[in-house]
Amino acid sequence: MATTVTGPGFLRILTGQLHSRLLAFGGGPQSLSCFHTSTPLEVNKNWDRRNFKLYPPQSPDEPRRPAEVHHCRRQIKYSKDKMWYLAKMIRGMSIDQAIAQLEFNDKKGAKIMKDVLLEAQEIAVRNHNVEYKSNLYIAESFSSKGKYLKRIRYHGRGMFGIMDKVYCHYFVKLVEGPPPQVEPRTSLDQAKEYVQNLKNRTIIHSL
Amino acid sequence: MATPMRRTLLALHRATCENLKNAEASLDVRHPLPFVIPVRTKKRYFIPPVAGIKQKTQGDQEAKARAAGIVFRQQYIERPVNIACSAGIFDPYIPPEGDARLSTLSKEGLKQRTEQVRQSAASQLAIRKIKEHDPHFTTKEFPEQAQEIFIEAHNALTQFNKEKLHSLVTERCYPEMTRGNRYKTIRWRFIESLEPPKVVHARCPDMVSKGNLYGQVTLRMHSRQTLAVYDRFGRLMLGNEEVQKDVLEYLVLERHLVNPYGRWRLHGKIMPAWAPAKDPVIKTVVIPGPELKPGEEFEALNYEVPKPKAVQWNK
Repeated sequence: MATTVTGPGFLRILTGQLHSRLLAFGGGPQSLSCFHTSTPLEVNKNWDRRNFKLYPPQSPDEPRRPAEVHHCRRQIKYSKDKMWYLAKMIRGMSIDQAIAQLEFNDKKGAKIMKDVLLEAQEIAVRNHNVEYKSNLYIAESFSSKGKYLKRIRYHGRGMFGIMDKVYCHYFVKLVEGPPPQVEPRTSLDQAKEYVQNLKNRTIIHSL
Repeated sequence: MATPMRRTLLALHRATCENLKNAEASLDVRHPLPFVIPVRTKKRYFIPPVAGIKQKTQGDQEAKARAAGIVFRQQYIERPVNIACSAGIFDPYIPPEGDARLSTLSKEGLKQRTEQVRQSAASQLAIRKIKEHDPHFTTKEFPEQAQEIFIEAHNALTQFNKEKLHSLVTERCYPEMTRGNRYKTIRWRFIESLEPPKVVHARCPDMVSKGNLYGQVTLRMHSRQTLAVYDRFGRLMLGNEEVQKDVLEYLVLERHLVNPYGRWRLHGKIMPAWAPAKDPVIKTVVIPGPELKPGEEFEALNYEVPKPKAVQWNK
């Protein structure tokens, strides 16, 4: 298993690699390395920019492109992990069903999420030429971490911990059309697929 | 296993140190590098207040300056503003009813034509004033130029060429033309002009101060055009690219006469009260109606959908 290389020869190879790497790294130890390692101070606005993408006009024989609306809310005073549960729940639902489910959910994030969905529906009808406000479904929905505030949590014996005041962002993408039909996969189907994958294996480089 | 590893590591360490020195030496000789000064780029969230200044309020500082004899000139918080166009259409032209419906050969048509030819006195005065400031203005040549401006402006709108559009269209007309159009595709074509365009109305209002003259000229244009508006996703929203429509338009062009570099630019359009309704948008729209209580039905309420009044408005 271990390759038998002589001691000094091994060292020479290693040092050679190191030398070349040092030279490549920015001209030696005199200049400073200039890697950008800090987090950005401004928020990433890519999600909002997706609303400004302009598609070329379609010819009459092409299938009608469904309208997509991207909406988000930043710095919600809620945990991103708790928000995730709600976001996962409404993925793939039609907008009416999602709003109904969130209205009768007891979590704090549900009310906020319902506001966001209603806002997004309003924007879709007003600005993005969506014809029927019920004809939308939730294509993507997820939450992410916002900028946290740090506070001191006092413990006994003069010890302290840094308490994070959590904030989260919530993103949603509504697409025009009926919600896509998801085929329900039973455990029997999954088992059959597993066995099929095992049977599909081939032995390469054999006689 | 342990001792051989340690020996190799030590040797590695020695070798890298040698190499570093070698690298330094070799680099110094071949490429003398400029010395890079580290710069502080981290944002300081807390800047301590300057130590040593006595507690001075704004009032105290002013009193001290006055006592010392320092006089400040009166500071006017003003900015010069250039108004290159007027705010609206002054004394708009009221197009006669049935314009372009009657043919020129019938008796009514001839009467309309004769009325139109002999314009009101105010328009003649205004045209004379415009000719004082702009000697090249004639009622014979101006309509053609105006039509060219119109076609170029609309072509710039389809390409959304902001600079060109600003030079062909006044600041009052620009937002009306481009509102909501930034994320839409417009396809417009001017096919032909059915009748030669004509100057029907002219006015010379002055804004703010007397003598600051703006000339507004109304032009009557009968032409054939196609229009198709596509939304952000490339779906047809309005109109049709193949269908050609006969369009009768009353355009208003304006120029800042006092400014020697002023140009005739599109200022607006006049929609007569008798204009036929435009084609509907290819979309079902909800008209806001009365709030229904849980037991009520809409048909039982006998609610009449309000129709818009036929009023002339300037676009």
